[in-house]
Amino acid sequence: MLNSLLSIAVDLTLITLVLALAAFGLAIVYGLVGVINMGHGALLTLGAYLTWQATAWQIPFPLAVLFAACGVCVIGLIFEHLVIRHFYERPFDTLLLTWAFFMIVTEVIKIVFGTDLRTVSNPLPGAIDLGGVRVPVYRATVALIAVGVIGATAWLFYRTSLGIRIRGLIQNREVAGLLGLNISLTYKIVFGIGAFMAGLAGGLISPMLSIDPYIGNVYLVRSFFVVLVGGMGQLLSGTLIGSFFTGGSETLFALFSSQAVAQTAVFALAILILRFRPNGILKNK
Amino acid sequence: MTDTIKTTGGLSRRSLIKSLGAAGALGLAGPNFIRSAYAADPIRVGVISPLTGAWTVYGKAHLAGMEMAIEEINAAGGVNGRPFELVVADSKTEPRIVVEQANRLIRHERVDFLAGTFSSAERNAAGPVVAAADKVLLYPTFYEGQQQKYYPGVCNKNMFMFGPVPSQQVWPHLEYMVKNFGKKFFMIGSDYAWPRVTNEVTKPKLRELGGEVVGEVYIPFNTPQYESVLRDIRNSGADVIFHSLTGSDTVNFRKQLAAAGMNKDFTLWTVDDEEVVTSGLGPEVSAGTYVSFDYFMSINKPSNATFLEKFRAHAGDDALMDTVGVAMYNAGHMAAMALRKSGEVSTAALRKGLKGLTFEDAPQGPVTMRELDNQAVLPSYLMRVRENWTSVNDMFEEVQMFESVEPQDAACSNLPLEA
Repeated sequence: MLNSLLSIAVDLTLITLVLALAAFGLAIVYGLVGVINMGHGALLTLGAYLTWQATAWQIPFPLAVLFAACGVCVIGLIFEHLVIRHFYERPFDTLLLTWAFFMIVTEVIKIVFGTDLRTVSNPLPGAIDLGGVRVPVYRATVALIAVGVIGATAWLFYRTSLGIRIRGLIQNREVAGLLGLNISLTYKIVFGIGAFMAGLAGGLISPMLSIDPYIGNVYLVRSFFVVLVGGMGQLLSGTLIGSFFTGGSETLFALFSSQAVAQTAVFALAILILRFRPNGILKNK
Repeated sequence: MTDTIKTTGGLSRRSLIKSLGAAGALGLAGPNFIRSAYAADPIRVGVISPLTGAWTVYGKAHLAGMEMAIEEINAAGGVNGRPFELVVADSKTEPRIVVEQANRLIRHERVDFLAGTFSSAERNAAGPVVAAADKVLLYPTFYEGQQQKYYPGVCNKNMFMFGPVPSQQVWPHLEYMVKNFGKKFFMIGSDYAWPRVTNEVTKPKLRELGGEVVGEVYIPFNTPQYESVLRDIRNSGADVIFHSLTGSDTVNFRKQLAAAGMNKDFTLWTVDDEEVVTSGLGPEVSAGTYVSFDYFMSINKPSNATFLEKFRAHAGDDALMDTVGVAMYNAGHMAAMALRKSGEVSTAALRKGLKGLTFEDAPQGPVTMRELDNQAVLPSYLMRVRENWTSVNDMFEEVQMFESVEPQDAACSNLPLEA
């Protein structure tokens, strides 16, 4: 009994943290600068493909993931510079633009990489025994990295002068501009960090999933729920709590019902939360 | 993406020529000249393949099978002097698009018959269209079998099934799996008709052999994480994981099963993961698992060697072929044989010609189209994925095979299906 409780706790932690990692890029872009980034899935996909390409060039896996994250960051910045920066004040237009971005990236991926399933082999195979519970080593590592990355980003936002500028910008765009803050550069930095995180997540997730042109979509809807349930702008606690509610509760529901019912129940729960706490579970107004 | 030729506006080229032919018979032109012009008129084949969308990965082999058949048919002089001409439509893996494209191919492109669609949902969407327009659809995919309630997607005299049903793909190998690996089966599949029906018809057979089902789960499409399912499997005490997940979910699940170190504790038997998916899994994840189908690239037969040589010339050395692509290939050849046999090109002639027809040179061994329910009688192979395989050439080793497996009779109320 204790053993199975422990195994459920381990599963919950792993699911929550992996989903938090996948949703984090969206939490930054959507939560901070308000761009409804439907292209988030495409950025994850791109991160996975670039990682695959780099490992195919015999680059060691950690460097391959870094290469992918940087590559996705550059592509995200180009998109921001050419298109998104003209639309920061029109969030619903960004929904259509980023959806178009998603479709273009998906088709370009098909042209460049083809439609065959690609595979990145697991860099840390095997499982460790944790008091009778077997934990896949790689998944645990990704969970730890997720904690590190989210923690480091939170530190950047709450403990550095760049963070103060970004938060000032979110709180009051006009005043921040009047005080001499370079608004467009700050937006660009935030968007770039978001894209970098999406690429990083795509790369880290790639050994666990099939790499096909739609791999990122699996996480797109779930990521939006994470951000909405957790509360926009709540980078650290919001992402974690949102992930727990969207990913972790699915595992809990699945204990008592079928997978299909569990996934439906999660979305119903998310809608309920948004009904009574429209600004996310952490914000009470 | 379409290959088209211009039709003379309003009046199709063929009907124009037909009326000219009628005029010729009245002595206005030389009948011999007319006959040769008629002879060059191509037979148009409309193919609906999943070239984009969720099942894109299967699209290439699906289309390549028919392309090859048509190349070979035309190289051999076509059907009574008329070449086959391919008109391609993309299903986008969506039933709604299948309806649009089937209508476009029939009404606008004026194809003589259709081949393709991939999933059962796609086929069922095409059913009413081909029934209303009275065109034949040649369906290539392994599927759940025919049940009257899905008419006209099945039990339809205009539909011919070239892929295996569970009584061909699963039943023949149950005894071997139970005897060698144990009686307790855990069934995991995607949440739609094919896995559910496959498991449903497998269960009674399994019980006859003394086996039991210790767990059964259906996973919604695009599920990324499998922790709770893996825990259920581990706690179920199963011997065999009977696996019918599809698309990216099969890869996601199997990668996580392997990462949890469970591959060595359970025997996995998949009825979905052909060459394309197994390539996507890679050798570490797939080694030691069992797969059953009517066709594998690894089949050691002269007919398959000849086929693969032509396939590599057509699609390149690294291209992947699978059961669905080969079914399309067989469908193309058998349609040509049927039309040759009946000497005319019409839906009725094609239906009549296909009934009872045997294709001796099929890559997997002789394939016969059964008269009763338009279901192919096929060989059935059980393969084991080799350790450290490097390509499709050494991916599978044959465990056992049956030359010619008769399927269970279709559950249709209108048997035998009319010719």
